Amino acid sequence: MDKFITIGERLSTTAPTVNKAFLERDAEPILKRAKAQLDAGAVYLDVNIGPAEGYGEDLMKWAVTLLQENFDNVPLALDTSNKAAIEAGISVYNRSKGKPIVNSADAAGRIEFVDLAAANDAIVIALCNGEGIAADNDERMAYCTQLLERGLGLGMAEEDMWFDPLFVVIKGMQDKQMDVLNFIGDLTDMGLKTTGGLSNNSNGMPKHIRPIMDSAMVAMAMMKGFTSAIVNPNDLRLMETIKSCDIIRNATLYADSYLEV
Amino acid sequence: MPFTKKLQKFNATVRSVEVGTGDKAVTLGGGNTLPFYSFDAPTTNTAKIGIEISDMGLAHEPDCIKEVYAGCETVADMAKKAITMEGVDFLCLRLEGGDPNGENRPVEELVAVAKEVAEAVDFPLVVEGCKNVEKDAELLSKVAEALQGKNVLLMSAKEENYKNIGAAAGLAYNQLVGAESAVDINLAKQLNVLLKQLGVDSGKVVMNVGSSAAGYGFDYLISTLDRVKAAALGQNDDSLLMPIITPVASETWSVKESVATEEDAPGWGCVVERAIDMEVETAVACLACGSDAVILKHPTSVATVSKLISALS
Repeated sequence: MDKFITIGERLSTTAPTVNKAFLERDAEPILKRAKAQLDAGAVYLDVNIGPAEGYGEDLMKWAVTLLQENFDNVPLALDTSNKAAIEAGISVYNRSKGKPIVNSADAAGRIEFVDLAAANDAIVIALCNGEGIAADNDERMAYCTQLLERGLGLGMAEEDMWFDPLFVVIKGMQDKQMDVLNFIGDLTDMGLKTTGGLSNNSNGMPKHIRPIMDSAMVAMAMMKGFTSAIVNPNDLRLMETIKSCDIIRNATLYADSYLEV
Repeated sequence: MPFTKKLQKFNATVRSVEVGTGDKAVTLGGGNTLPFYSFDAPTTNTAKIGIEISDMGLAHEPDCIKEVYAGCETVADMAKKAITMEGVDFLCLRLEGGDPNGENRPVEELVAVAKEVAEAVDFPLVVEGCKNVEKDAELLSKVAEALQGKNVLLMSAKEENYKNIGAAAGLAYNQLVGAESAVDINLAKQLNVLLKQLGVDSGKVVMNVGSSAAGYGFDYLISTLDRVKAAALGQNDDSLLMPIITPVASETWSVKESVATEEDAPGWGCVVERAIDMEVETAVACLACGSDAVILKHPTSVATVSKLISALS
């Protein structure tokens, strides 16, 4: 059992300070957020630059170089709908700490992101999703199979395809939660790796509730074999839960100070 | 169907820790395969062997060891002779005379012996305490101070005294710290974490995860070595990627197989051969399960284990 891989989500244009810093190529706020996430135990950092039409290539190159130079070639997930920007980012990416992740492909309009990952020897996050959210697990599995076949056909290794079941919001889709978890179990049984934007589940909940719900969700998902997630690493409760689950899964050796390392 | 060789690749490498200074310095660790799995990846650094002498000179040694050091008048003389033995990579001085329940030699006297030995030989040096945690806290700290600049490995810091020994050896005097746990894999990791939190560079830590003679609770030791190595490499656990050193002689030379006279155990054969066999068998089993270095006493054992390491690496 491999250790759970956390992908820090806090470098995203959805955060106004990050968006401004990206646009102005202002290193300081970016480095500060990156450091906070790495200090908290993030393995990968997600770099979400938005669609960045017209300037994405330059921006992604700048961000990749900035982060890897300052943080010992930290492995990164390149997160944008702009394919040229992802390729530009990979062209300056140092692989010594891990392959780049292409975030993300789906089984509809973004299926070519699988091709992009295959062509660049990258990992791809593959959303088991077509147009709109899958109605049930049969549909999710159909999308998964489609994505998997495409990747394998292009010579990708199975372990470089991380399937995202797509977490759905509890407030509104409470009856679908176990489907998502059971689907992670199905993917695990197939020997596949999994990931996902965990905090979708707690969208719209009060701020003090979200860490609790996210922690419960990750624990139940890890019980199903979940191998990675896109998370806020500065959520202490969540990170403590992940570390504790890794102990129970025998993915890391217990020591009294396990929460501190 | 053609045979496809499947290699067991780990994304982790045990840290290399250099003991001693200059041309004679010796490197422990550095491996990225299971022990002797040279078919998975080339061996970058072979396991090392230390030869042990005691501050008590030959007072407590069996006749066969007295013969080896015949003519030596001081511990420094023994040190000079020990390092000429075939296959020896480092010298280990055990300050057993410090034990409050034994000779209870004062710290100053033991530090003087350590200095005398360190000055007599230009060779990588490991200094072992007397195994009493309070005495060792003071003794090993003073030895660390006295031998500054020699890059000595001090054994060992335990849960009870790691703050003293870690601070002196690892922080104040820039020596190497042995982290000792007794066949407890969780504590082995914990001690490394605690030393790191104390500020000790993890690249200057060598683990002693326990020791025993073959047949004497040895399966616990073997499984601990095995599991530490598997977790370090398999889980790429930074808190466990320290080389492992295992004192063997101090365990094997006191068990009945090694001490019973031929009169007392007529069916067992020559006592010297038995003692050497116990030492060799224990050492080899430790090496096969994950020790990066072993500490032995008899020159025949050292030469034998050294040949085995060369042949398998």
